[in-house]
Amino acid sequence: MARRKPNSESAEMNMTPMIDVVFQLIIFFVVTLKMSKEINKDIELEDSIHGETITQENMPVQTIVIEVSRRTKIFPRGKVSINNAILTDAALGQIITKRYNKFGSFPVLIRADWRAKHEDVKRVMDICTARGCWKIGFVAVQEHKETTSHHARRK
Amino acid sequence: MARKLQSGEAKAEMTPMIDVVFQLLIFFVVTLKQEDILSRLMASRPAPDKNAKPEQQPDLINIEINRWGFIVKGRKLSLGELDRQIRSYAAMSKTANVLLRCTSDSPHEYLVEALDLCAKHGMTNLSIFSM
Repeated sequence: MARRKPNSESAEMNMTPMIDVVFQLIIFFVVTLKMSKEINKDIELEDSIHGETITQENMPVQTIVIEVSRRTKIFPRGKVSINNAILTDAALGQIITKRYNKFGSFPVLIRADWRAKHEDVKRVMDICTARGCWKIGFVAVQEHKETTSHHARRK
Repeated sequence: MARKLQSGEAKAEMTPMIDVVFQLLIFFVVTLKQEDILSRLMASRPAPDKNAKPEQQPDLINIEINRWGFIVKGRKLSLGELDRQIRSYAAMSKTANVLLRCTSDSPHEYLVEALDLCAKHGMTNLSIFSM
Protein backbone atom coordinates (compact mmCIF):
# COMPACT_ATOMS: atom_id res chain seq x y z
CA MET A 1 0.00 0.00 0.00
CA ALA A 2 2.75 2.37 0.94
CA ARG A 3 4.44 1.64 -2.38
CA ARG A 4 1.41 1.95 -4.60
CA LYS A 5 0.23 5.35 -3.47
CA PRO A 6 3.16 7.47 -4.68
CA ASN A 7 3.24 5.50 -7.95
CA SER A 8 -0.39 6.24 -8.80
CA GLU A 9 0.17 9.87 -7.85
CA SER A 10 3.05 10.33 -10.22
CA ALA A 11 1.00 8.77 -13.03
CA GLU A 12 -1.59 11.50 -12.50
CA MET A 13 1.13 14.15 -12.72
CA ASN A 14 0.19 17.55 -14.12
CA MET A 15 0.93 17.52 -17.85
CA THR A 16 0.35 21.23 -18.50
CA PRO A 17 3.95 22.50 -17.98
CA MET A 18 5.34 19.74 -20.19
CA ILE A 19 2.91 20.57 -22.98
CA ASP A 20 3.83 24.24 -22.58
CA VAL A 21 7.50 23.48 -23.00
CA VAL A 22 6.90 21.20 -25.97
CA PHE A 23 4.86 23.87 -27.75
CA GLN A 24 7.54 26.43 -27.06
CA LEU A 25 10.14 24.16 -28.58
CA ILE A 26 7.98 23.51 -31.64
CA ILE A 27 7.41 27.23 -32.18
CA PHE A 28 11.10 27.91 -31.66
CA PHE A 29 12.22 25.43 -34.30
CA VAL A 30 9.56 26.48 -36.80
CA VAL A 31 10.64 30.10 -36.54
CA THR A 32 14.40 29.48 -36.68
CA LEU A 33 14.07 27.06 -39.59
CA LYS A 34 12.40 29.74 -41.65
CA MET A 35 15.09 32.27 -40.74
CA SER A 36 17.98 30.09 -41.78
CA LYS A 37 16.38 29.52 -45.18
CA GLU A 38 16.52 33.20 -46.03
CA ILE A 39 20.29 33.21 -46.26
CA ASN A 40 21.70 32.27 -49.62
CA LYS A 41 24.06 29.47 -48.82
CA ASP A 42 25.15 28.78 -52.40
CA ILE A 43 27.39 31.79 -52.45
CA GLU A 44 30.58 31.67 -50.45
CA LEU A 45 32.54 34.86 -50.67
CA GLU A 46 36.29 35.16 -50.84
CA ASP A 47 38.07 36.94 -47.96
CA SER A 48 39.42 40.44 -48.29
CA ILE A 49 40.69 42.05 -45.14
CA HIS A 50 42.02 45.17 -46.86
CA GLY A 51 38.94 46.21 -48.78
CA GLU A 52 36.71 49.09 -47.76
CA THR A 53 34.19 48.03 -45.13
CA ILE A 54 30.59 48.06 -46.30
CA THR A 55 28.26 49.84 -43.91
CA GLN A 56 24.74 51.08 -44.44
CA GLU A 57 26.01 54.65 -44.46
CA ASN A 58 28.64 54.29 -47.16
CA MET A 59 26.49 52.24 -49.50
CA PRO A 60 24.65 54.49 -51.97
CA VAL A 61 20.94 53.70 -52.17
CA GLN A 62 21.10 53.24 -55.92
CA THR A 63 23.65 50.42 -55.59
CA ILE A 64 22.56 47.18 -57.12
CA VAL A 65 23.92 43.89 -55.82
CA ILE A 66 24.15 41.06 -58.33
CA GLU A 67 24.92 37.53 -57.21
CA VAL A 68 26.91 35.12 -59.34
CA SER A 69 27.11 31.50 -58.24
CA ARG A 70 29.60 28.83 -59.11
CA ARG A 71 28.82 26.52 -61.99
CA THR A 72 26.63 23.54 -61.23
CA LYS A 73 24.96 20.89 -63.35
CA ILE A 74 21.67 22.77 -63.21
CA PHE A 75 23.34 26.10 -63.94
CA PRO A 76 26.27 25.28 -66.20
CA ARG A 77 26.88 29.00 -66.87
CA GLY A 78 26.65 30.11 -63.27
CA LYS A 79 23.47 31.38 -61.69
CA VAL A 80 22.95 35.14 -61.91
CA SER A 81 20.48 36.55 -59.42
CA ILE A 82 19.38 39.66 -57.55
CA ASN A 83 18.06 39.00 -54.03
CA ASN A 84 17.97 35.29 -54.90
CA ALA A 85 15.68 35.84 -57.88
CA ILE A 86 17.33 34.09 -60.81
CA LEU A 87 17.70 36.21 -63.91
CA THR A 88 18.50 35.60 -67.53
CA ASP A 89 21.01 37.91 -69.23
CA ALA A 90 18.17 39.70 -71.02
CA ALA A 91 16.23 40.25 -67.79
CA LEU A 92 19.35 41.58 -66.05
CA GLY A 93 19.92 43.93 -68.98
CA GLN A 94 16.38 45.26 -68.68
CA ILE A 95 16.75 45.86 -64.96
CA ILE A 96 20.02 47.73 -65.47
CA THR A 97 18.56 49.83 -68.30
CA LYS A 98 15.49 50.77 -66.25
CA ARG A 99 17.61 51.71 -63.27
CA TYR A 100 20.00 53.68 -65.45
CA ASN A 101 17.11 55.69 -66.92
CA LYS A 102 15.96 56.48 -63.40
CA PHE A 103 19.21 57.27 -61.58
CA GLY A 104 21.87 57.73 -64.24
CA SER A 105 25.09 55.81 -63.64
CA PHE A 106 24.96 53.84 -60.42
CA PRO A 107 27.42 51.55 -58.65
CA VAL A 108 27.17 47.83 -59.21
CA LEU A 109 28.35 45.35 -56.61
CA ILE A 110 29.00 41.80 -57.66
CA ARG A 111 28.62 39.15 -54.99
CA ALA A 112 30.33 36.27 -56.69
CA ASP A 113 31.21 32.92 -55.21
CA TRP A 114 34.95 32.33 -54.91
CA ARG A 115 34.57 29.28 -57.15
CA ALA A 116 32.69 31.19 -59.86
CA LYS A 117 34.39 31.31 -63.23
CA HIS A 118 35.59 34.68 -64.39
CA GLU A 119 33.65 34.13 -67.62
CA ASP A 120 30.33 34.34 -65.76
CA VAL A 121 31.46 37.39 -63.78
CA LYS A 122 32.64 38.93 -67.04
CA ARG A 123 29.21 38.38 -68.59
CA VAL A 124 27.58 40.35 -65.78
CA MET A 125 30.22 43.10 -65.98
CA ASP A 126 29.76 43.38 -69.74
CA ILE A 127 25.98 43.74 -69.37
CA CYS A 128 26.54 46.56 -66.86
CA THR A 129 29.25 48.43 -68.74
CA ALA A 130 27.36 48.19 -72.04
CA ARG A 131 24.52 50.08 -70.32
CA GLY A 132 26.70 52.76 -68.79
CA CYS A 133 27.59 51.49 -65.32
CA TRP A 134 31.33 51.74 -64.91
CA LYS A 135 31.68 51.59 -61.17
CA ILE A 136 31.94 47.92 -60.45
CA GLY A 137 32.84 46.47 -57.10
CA PHE A 138 33.20 43.02 -55.69
CA VAL A 139 31.87 41.96 -52.34
CA ALA A 140 34.18 39.97 -50.09
CA VAL A 141 34.21 39.06 -46.43
CA GLN A 142 36.32 41.22 -44.16
CA GLU A 143 35.59 39.39 -40.97
CA HIS A 144 33.81 36.09 -40.61
CA LYS A 145 31.26 35.93 -37.82
CA GLU A 146 28.42 33.91 -39.19
CA THR A 147 30.22 31.84 -41.82
CA THR A 148 33.67 30.31 -41.90
CA SER A 149 36.32 31.09 -44.45
CA HIS A 150 37.01 28.41 -47.03
CA HIS A 151 40.72 29.04 -46.43
CA ALA A 152 40.27 28.17 -42.76
CA ARG A 153 38.34 25.04 -43.65
CA ARG A 154 41.05 23.83 -45.99
CA LYS A 155 43.69 23.87 -43.28
CA MET B 1 -14.11 43.15 1.22
CA ALA B 2 -13.58 44.82 -2.10
CA ARG B 3 -10.23 46.07 -0.84
CA LYS B 4 -9.12 42.67 0.22
CA LEU B 5 -9.69 41.37 -3.29
CA GLN B 6 -7.59 44.16 -4.74
CA SER B 7 -4.70 43.51 -2.45
CA GLY B 8 -4.96 39.86 -3.48
CA GLU B 9 -4.63 40.92 -7.13
CA ALA B 10 -1.58 43.00 -6.39
CA LYS B 11 0.10 39.94 -5.01
CA ALA B 12 -0.51 38.06 -8.28
CA GLU B 13 1.92 35.25 -8.89
CA MET B 14 5.06 36.35 -10.63
CA THR B 15 6.25 32.89 -11.63
CA PRO B 16 4.44 32.61 -15.00
CA MET B 17 5.58 36.07 -16.01
CA ILE B 18 9.17 35.30 -15.12
CA ASP B 19 8.87 32.05 -17.09
CA VAL B 20 7.68 33.89 -20.16
CA VAL B 21 10.34 36.57 -19.83
CA PHE B 22 13.07 33.93 -19.60
CA GLN B 23 11.67 32.13 -22.60
CA LEU B 24 11.73 35.35 -24.62
CA LEU B 25 15.22 36.13 -23.43
CA ILE B 26 16.50 32.71 -24.46
CA PHE B 27 14.71 32.97 -27.79
CA PHE B 28 16.33 36.29 -28.68
CA VAL B 29 19.78 35.24 -27.48
CA VAL B 30 19.65 32.12 -29.63
CA THR B 31 18.20 33.74 -32.75
CA LEU B 32 20.52 36.72 -32.63
CA LYS B 33 22.88 36.14 -35.50
CA GLN B 34 26.12 37.93 -35.92
CA GLU B 35 26.52 38.88 -39.53
CA ASP B 36 29.75 38.77 -41.47
CA ILE B 37 31.44 42.10 -41.97
CA LEU B 38 31.69 42.65 -45.70
CA SER B 39 34.14 44.69 -47.67
CA ARG B 40 34.03 45.97 -51.21
CA LEU B 41 36.75 46.21 -53.79
CA MET B 42 36.02 48.75 -56.47
CA ALA B 43 37.56 48.62 -59.91
CA SER B 44 36.80 50.13 -63.25
CA ARG B 45 36.04 48.16 -66.29
CA PRO B 46 37.06 49.20 -69.79
CA ALA B 47 34.20 49.04 -72.30
CA PRO B 48 33.89 45.57 -73.80
CA ASP B 49 34.27 46.90 -77.34
CA LYS B 50 37.28 49.07 -76.58
CA ASN B 51 39.91 48.78 -79.27
CA ALA B 52 42.83 50.15 -77.31
CA LYS B 53 45.47 47.55 -76.72
CA PRO B 54 46.59 47.58 -73.12
CA GLU B 55 50.11 46.49 -74.05
CA GLN B 56 50.75 49.84 -75.76
CA GLN B 57 50.45 51.90 -72.60
CA PRO B 58 53.88 52.12 -71.03
CA ASP B 59 53.19 52.89 -67.35
CA LEU B 60 50.80 50.01 -67.03
CA ILE B 61 51.23 47.26 -64.48
CA ASN B 62 50.02 44.05 -65.97
CA ILE B 63 48.86 41.24 -63.76
CA GLU B 64 47.60 38.23 -65.60
CA ILE B 65 45.23 35.92 -63.78
CA ASN B 66 44.62 32.45 -65.13
CA ARG B 67 43.26 29.27 -63.68
CA TRP B 68 46.56 28.40 -62.03
CA GLY B 69 47.42 31.72 -60.47
CA PHE B 70 49.08 35.04 -61.17
CA ILE B 71 51.58 35.97 -63.88
CA VAL B 72 53.56 39.19 -63.82
CA LYS B 73 56.12 39.90 -66.55
CA GLY B 74 55.84 36.33 -67.77
CA ARG B 75 56.70 34.87 -64.40
CA LYS B 76 54.28 32.82 -62.32
CA LEU B 77 53.94 34.25 -58.82
CA SER B 78 52.54 32.90 -55.59
CA LEU B 79 50.25 35.10 -53.52
CA GLY B 80 53.15 36.14 -51.28
CA GLU B 81 55.32 36.99 -54.27
CA LEU B 82 52.49 39.01 -55.83
CA ASP B 83 52.16 40.87 -52.53
CA ARG B 84 55.84 41.85 -52.66
CA GLN B 85 55.60 42.74 -56.34
CA ILE B 86 52.63 45.07 -55.81
CA ARG B 87 54.36 46.59 -52.78
CA SER B 88 57.37 47.49 -54.92
CA TYR B 89 55.08 48.99 -57.58
CA ALA B 90 53.20 50.95 -54.91
CA ALA B 91 56.50 52.34 -53.58
CA MET B 92 57.07 53.87 -57.02
CA SER B 93 53.58 55.20 -57.63
CA LYS B 94 50.24 54.50 -56.06
CA THR B 95 48.38 56.05 -58.97
CA ALA B 96 49.92 53.86 -61.66
CA ASN B 97 47.40 52.00 -63.75
CA VAL B 98 47.06 48.40 -62.68
CA LEU B 99 45.52 46.14 -65.27
CA LEU B 100 44.18 42.82 -64.10
CA ARG B 101 43.86 40.59 -67.11
CA CYS B 102 41.71 37.59 -66.34
CA THR B 103 41.28 34.56 -68.52
CA SER B 104 37.70 33.34 -68.73
CA ASP B 105 38.47 30.08 -66.93
CA SER B 106 40.15 31.77 -63.97
CA PRO B 107 38.31 31.42 -60.66
CA HIS B 108 36.85 34.57 -59.18
CA GLU B 109 38.87 33.83 -56.04
CA TYR B 110 42.14 34.95 -57.65
CA LEU B 111 40.70 38.20 -58.93
CA VAL B 112 39.48 39.10 -55.44
CA GLU B 113 42.84 38.13 -53.94
CA ALA B 114 44.66 40.36 -56.41
CA LEU B 115 42.25 43.24 -55.81
CA ASP B 116 42.69 42.78 -52.07
CA LEU B 117 46.47 43.11 -52.40
CA CYS B 118 46.04 46.24 -54.51
CA ALA B 119 43.79 47.68 -51.79
CA LYS B 120 46.37 46.69 -49.17
CA HIS B 121 49.09 48.72 -50.87
CA GLY B 122 46.79 51.61 -51.77
CA MET B 123 46.79 51.24 -55.54
CA THR B 124 43.88 53.30 -56.79
CA ASN B 125 43.68 52.95 -60.57
CA LEU B 126 42.55 49.42 -61.10
CA SER B 127 40.94 48.06 -64.18
CA ILE B 128 39.80 44.62 -65.07
CA PHE B 129 40.24 43.27 -68.55
CA SER B 130 38.86 39.93 -69.63
CA MET B 131 40.61 37.75 -72.13
